[in-house]
Amino acid sequence: MAKLHYNFIYRQIINSRKQVAVFILCVALSLLTLVSLGGFSHSVRQSTLKDARTLHAADIIIHSHYPFSTPLADVVNKYTETGMVQSALVHELFSMVQEPSTTRSLLTNLKVVEKGYPFYGQVELASQRNFTEELKSGAVIVEQAVLDRLQVGIGDTLNIGNGAFIIKDIVVREPDRPVTFFSFGPRIFISAEDLIALALIKKGSRIHYNYLLKVNDPEKIDKLADALSAKALKGQERVETYRTSQSGIKRFLDNFLFFLNLIGILTLVLAGAGIQSALTTLLRQNEITVAIMKTVGATSRFITVHFIAMVMVLGAIGTALGLVCGFILQLFFPILFAGILPANITITISWLTVVEGIILGMMIVGLFAFLPLRSLRDLKPSFIFRKESVPAKRGVLHYGAVGIIVLFFVGLVIWQLEDMLTGLYLVLALFGLIGITTAITKILLKFLRTRSTRSLALRQAFKGLFRPKNLTVPIIITLSIALAVIFSIFLIEENLNATFVQSYPPDLPNVYFLDIQPDQKKEFVNILGKKPQFYPVIRARITSINNKPINRAQELQRKRDNLAREFNLTYRDYLLEDERFSNGKKLFGDHWKDLDMHDEVPVSVLDTVAEIGDISMGDLIIFNVQGIPIKARVTSIRTRSESKVRPYFYFVFPEEILQDAPQTIFTAVRFSAAELGALQNKIVSRMPNISVIDISQTIKILARIIHKLSSIIQFFALFSIIAGLLITISSVFATQFARIQEAVYFKILGARASFILRAFTYENLIVAMICAGLAGLVSHIGSWIVCKWIFSIPYGFFVGETIIMMSITVVLIIAIGMASSITVLKSKPVVFLREHGQE
Amino acid sequence: MAICLLLMLVLSGCEKPAKKSVAETTVPLETQGTIIALGNSLTAGYGVPEEKVYPALLEKKLRRDGYHYRVINAGISGETSSGTLSRIQWILAQKPDIVILETGANDGLRGISTELIKENISKTIQLLQEKDVEVVLAGMQIVQNLGARYTESFAAIYPAVAKDQKIILIPFFLKGVAGEPDLNQADTIHPTAQGYEIILQTIYPHVLQAIESSRKRSTEK
Repeated sequence: MAKLHYNFIYRQIINSRKQVAVFILCVALSLLTLVSLGGFSHSVRQSTLKDARTLHAADIIIHSHYPFSTPLADVVNKYTETGMVQSALVHELFSMVQEPSTTRSLLTNLKVVEKGYPFYGQVELASQRNFTEELKSGAVIVEQAVLDRLQVGIGDTLNIGNGAFIIKDIVVREPDRPVTFFSFGPRIFISAEDLIALALIKKGSRIHYNYLLKVNDPEKIDKLADALSAKALKGQERVETYRTSQSGIKRFLDNFLFFLNLIGILTLVLAGAGIQSALTTLLRQNEITVAIMKTVGATSRFITVHFIAMVMVLGAIGTALGLVCGFILQLFFPILFAGILPANITITISWLTVVEGIILGMMIVGLFAFLPLRSLRDLKPSFIFRKESVPAKRGVLHYGAVGIIVLFFVGLVIWQLEDMLTGLYLVLALFGLIGITTAITKILLKFLRTRSTRSLALRQAFKGLFRPKNLTVPIIITLSIALAVIFSIFLIEENLNATFVQSYPPDLPNVYFLDIQPDQKKEFVNILGKKPQFYPVIRARITSINNKPINRAQELQRKRDNLAREFNLTYRDYLLEDERFSNGKKLFGDHWKDLDMHDEVPVSVLDTVAEIGDISMGDLIIFNVQGIPIKARVTSIRTRSESKVRPYFYFVFPEEILQDAPQTIFTAVRFSAAELGALQNKIVSRMPNISVIDISQTIKILARIIHKLSSIIQFFALFSIIAGLLITISSVFATQFARIQEAVYFKILGARASFILRAFTYENLIVAMICAGLAGLVSHIGSWIVCKWIFSIPYGFFVGETIIMMSITVVLIIAIGMASSITVLKSKPVVFLREHGQE
Repeated sequence: MAICLLLMLVLSGCEKPAKKSVAETTVPLETQGTIIALGNSLTAGYGVPEEKVYPALLEKKLRRDGYHYRVINAGISGETSSGTLSRIQWILAQKPDIVILETGANDGLRGISTELIKENISKTIQLLQEKDVEVVLAGMQIVQNLGARYTESFAAIYPAVAKDQKIILIPFFLKGVAGEPDLNQADTIHPTAQGYEIILQTIYPHVLQAIESSRKRSTEK
């Protein structure tokens, strides 16, 4: 091997420091992403799965409404005896609880638990004591609401079933409180030892039987669950693992982890593109040097070896930087994710991850650097004299290299996603988007080429796009893709937020009052002390749509919702906070009094039910409101953000139509925990028919988890945004070199700096606008696909945000372009000419 | 064997048009009155097609037995006795001759005081009686897990009200159905179509009794 001339490498690096910096940063960033996402995502996955497990308090849960069948119980016993699992039976039931000295009684939700419960998470008590030690036979642990409602305290006695129990403590938080917890009564914990004393489990009782299992070897969870499912009575006993259990949280977790991986992959792609673009520019700047070296006798081998050495040095620096950053970042994880990750989860970057990272880093550098380096070999000395670029020979090696890059990329995606099919689809979709971008760019440029304009500056700008040796097309493509990726990440994040996070805003109602009778409204407002939003509910069925009767048997076969059920109608003349029109401008149109002539009334329909029933504007729906038919014309269609915990109605009527129909009213309000107890007491004592559903606990847990996950996403999205910025900077730099020469010639010809600046700004503006437009288009297509097909969440276009992102892009590109040309504009042409005299 | 089958096929083939013509002739017949089945999800038939819930079954059976009454299903899932009382004017507007009143179970599941339930049912009956409606009260029991004190006091509401206001009582609406896994849906409280067949048998004699006394009442006038 030829002796390396270190000075040569050093000079090359110093000469192109901007591109070198971009190159190193891109390598560092890809390493940082790999190392911290690799190591961290493992921790995050553990943590989130742990959250999921905590939400179930076990690995496997078996539900039933009846005592467990013998075959199933036998298997559980066998597993328990052989030490494969630990098990705990949990009975949940409603029961009336009496305070013995008065007649006060209260419906409560009993949870009778065996020792061992909860296997994951903790039942937090007000006294901070240990749950299992507190819950002895003869004692109960109750929710604060029980004390408030019965006006008793710790140490008092409660009669439950056939037994009397001493209140021992107050439960503050229960790990496996169901996500959809919607209960008419507060919680009371009782030890399973008292089950017989309670005497509440007998024929005619309604009990939820839950078998909680902790599997000692986590690898075996799915296997055991399958074995248990095989023994379970179909339709009666249900076996779930904390992973398979279907809940909103679970769906969010899946989407979240997928999105995290997606961000990781995209960051890698961007960083790879950055490496290639920086290197291409760097080598292009050195083309003449290389050509001269070849003229004076340097062999291709000499040059290639030196540039490879340079790339390796830079790659090593980038790798080292990335690893150091990774380690530093790791130190800050506990601060960054305070309250996000449980304290006992250690975030360590394992040596395996580091080695993996270094190998991957080198592979990325090698692969993306190969093609630019190879083009050096084809460079002929005659290049010095010719201005046009020599078309590179695209032999087998070229296409082979491209093939390997693609394969490597596909492999990386599949490896990260751990799912072959989704990975392949994703890669296909990405290539599809690149294809679309390229095609549109070429068409646009062709169109622009034929344009002529009077303004000289603008004309120069147009010409600039097509100057020889220019990289306009590849740069626009790279930039558009990079921007599209960033936009997409943002858009997907916004959509995930809109669906999951914003469903839990801080002002969300935390208590529901049901079954308020129309004549109780006034008194209710008095007790509440404020006027809440009342939701009247009128029950009805649909008889026909456009005179086509509802096929009830067929409807009941539907999996999700069906048209055969009873619907809740309501009346009001305004939209709710989270509603907007998807069709029509007023709830009841403009001419609804005209409908009166045909004995018809207007109705506003929610888009979800419109979809189920294939209902559109102007359709005729006949309702049967408890025996009375109502002919309703659809005058508007509403849509809503899918917040799960705000009330919504499929059918809204004008007040005068339904105000006399039989109805009950409910309301949803927000009160602080402190006020809630007293308020419930007051209402229940004055209007005992009103039921109170307190969902404050549920909301708190859900909101906490969802918010913390969304902040992790934001953090990692930052990585890819940095990568995208680096590409933008590198791309704009790449176009500058040719411009510098032009600026000089303009100056010699007597152009003012302001003219040159204008011409350059126009040129950058055209590039920026094409890129921003393309990125906007492509990112919406991409995000729509991800949201619709992978996450199955509704897609919002976020028009305002898109415009802002595009504007920022344009400003950024112009600003970077301007910043890099300012030195040229300031310097005297003669300086440049002296330096580049031979050209 | 084969001949037997063939014969059955032919016979049943003959039977169909005959049945149809009977049905056709019965429909235009003027109805002799209106029965409203007033209640909660047990009447509405939560999770069961409407034609397999007891009001539809009852109408069919009455017709077969020569009683041409229209039976309206006015069940509302989730309704409490307060809700039933609130909508009684709407029910009366449909001018029923007989009302089968089945309410209170949701109150029970929410642990609402039995005095309030009793008061609501009693007021509902009073309003119906003022309009000369014959009331059949469906006796109800509540899930045993609520505790003996409550369940006993709950079950006592119905016979007491029936006795006080002199109305027909179905001792237990869900007799033979409640607590039977095969006759209830997965949620253990809502009957299946099969369960409604049993409910129909349980209530039928009481409905006939109501028809008799409703007829007697109108002839007296």
